[in-house]
Amino acid sequence: MNAFTLYRRMAGASIKAQLRYPGTFALQLVGNFVTTLLSFFGIWSLFHRFGSIAGWDIGAVAVLYGLVNVSFSVAETLGRGFDVFGSEYVKTGSFDRLLLRPRSTLVLLLGHELRLRPIGRFLQGAFVLGAGFWLSPHVSWNTVWLLPWAVTGGAVMFLGILIGQAALCFITVEGLEVVNVLTYGGVEAGQYPLTMFARWLRRFLTWALPLSAVCYYPALAMLNHPDPLGMPLWFGLLSPAMGFVFLALMVLWWRRGVAGYVSSGS
Amino acid sequence: MTIRPYVTSFVLQWKIGLRYRLAVLAGLVAQMWFGAISLMAYAAVYHHAPDVNAPMTLRQAMTYTWIQQSFFTLLPLGCLPAIGEAAKSGAIVYDLLRPVDLWNWWLSASLARLLGNAVPRALLLALVAGPLAALVGLNGWSLAPPASFEAALLALVSFILGAFISASIVMWWNIVAARTLSPLGTYAVGTPLAVLLSGMLLPLPLYPDWARDLLLLQPFAGISDIPIRLYMGMPIPGGVVTALGIQCFWLLALTMIGRFWMNRTISRMELQGA
Repeated sequence: MNAFTLYRRMAGASIKAQLRYPGTFALQLVGNFVTTLLSFFGIWSLFHRFGSIAGWDIGAVAVLYGLVNVSFSVAETLGRGFDVFGSEYVKTGSFDRLLLRPRSTLVLLLGHELRLRPIGRFLQGAFVLGAGFWLSPHVSWNTVWLLPWAVTGGAVMFLGILIGQAALCFITVEGLEVVNVLTYGGVEAGQYPLTMFARWLRRFLTWALPLSAVCYYPALAMLNHPDPLGMPLWFGLLSPAMGFVFLALMVLWWRRGVAGYVSSGS
Repeated sequence: MTIRPYVTSFVLQWKIGLRYRLAVLAGLVAQMWFGAISLMAYAAVYHHAPDVNAPMTLRQAMTYTWIQQSFFTLLPLGCLPAIGEAAKSGAIVYDLLRPVDLWNWWLSASLARLLGNAVPRALLLALVAGPLAALVGLNGWSLAPPASFEAALLALVSFILGAFISASIVMWWNIVAARTLSPLGTYAVGTPLAVLLSGMLLPLPLYPDWARDLLLLQPFAGISDIPIRLYMGMPIPGGVVTALGIQCFWLLALTMIGRFWMNRTISRMELQGA
């Protein structure tokens, strides 16, 4: 059995398991949809009161918002195993069992759960994204291929954060809430135009955590909107690749962590 | 009836909250980050539209955001984890067998959990966002002191009422967890509701005018929005009396309906694994 077939089976089993508690599942799905919808209501209220967000119209902000939420929901669906890695694998010692299996630990953890709950966030993000394109005057033809490319880059980058967060658990044992700064905090930061942040934060969000490379710059290219800070438009066509670079770095770090792993349990 | 068992239940959960010092620090960093992003967003929005007559100044919006961030763990984000787990495993039967008033027993644990998490974080964040930020020259971005001595006293009373309202809402989530046999659903619904309706996402005064009065009248506003308005001395339609009145009304209503609902729930509960 190759890794892909194995993953498909694990994913199938996980979907069945999640549908076992239908009441809870429905509540979670609705909750997820409503959370994200409400958070857009907050942004919309700012527009309603102030007319624009620092000179950006609602179409552009809706595209940014939709892009970052769709990307994150894909990573959330795939990467649940890394999210709970500290509490469910390192602290309990059950990571030892994964190490005994003749498969890549990354594949086994991806198969921990294929989470259905983020579908709510995905649908809502896609809906806002569509509305954003509809409201924007100069949507370019590049969007047709740039959109899937940016979403893939974004999903891969968020997956990289989750893997990096799991690798951190080799040191801290328990997962730390502080890494939510990069996941949920990343989503929060990604839905605003980059120009409204201070310079240190702009640099961090482009070169350390390539959030703007998978969200802000591709969105500018899709909307034919010149960058107020002077970055040329073609940068947005290439920049989603930085998401893959980020993932590769995190995987390297993960390998180092696994090589130095000392079991905490029985 | 003696009060001792409820005090014990409170002290136990309070100690659990204080146990994880690293988690407090980690939470502080997260709260500072989310606070900083919101502040930059508000600053950009306000500076770009100087002639819009907003119901609160930029300085007030910043203070509001800092206090909201410091009381994040005071919000009723879901059921008490211990009760949710007990509902799932069937261990909830032990709670049902205790010769104590179940509402007060769970309420004291819920309140202690909220306060044990929130108080250390709030003090630390207030220190960092207030005096320390002013010292390093970020005065315009810092947490402003209370409007006056009376405002500070009123806000303190109001915060205490708010903590009780929050614990009562947690009680409702506990009942939902006992009914659905899992804590997860309450987190999924409770977190977004609390984050939006308490003013954590966007200060309640900044919502569109048609929504503002409605938002003030719902129970979540009593947790932190009303205390913060009193702290900053912001006008509330009807003044202090309405402010505290709304809080007292919700505390009573949530308790009375909640007790009735809880008794109905446990009288017909089927226990899992018992």
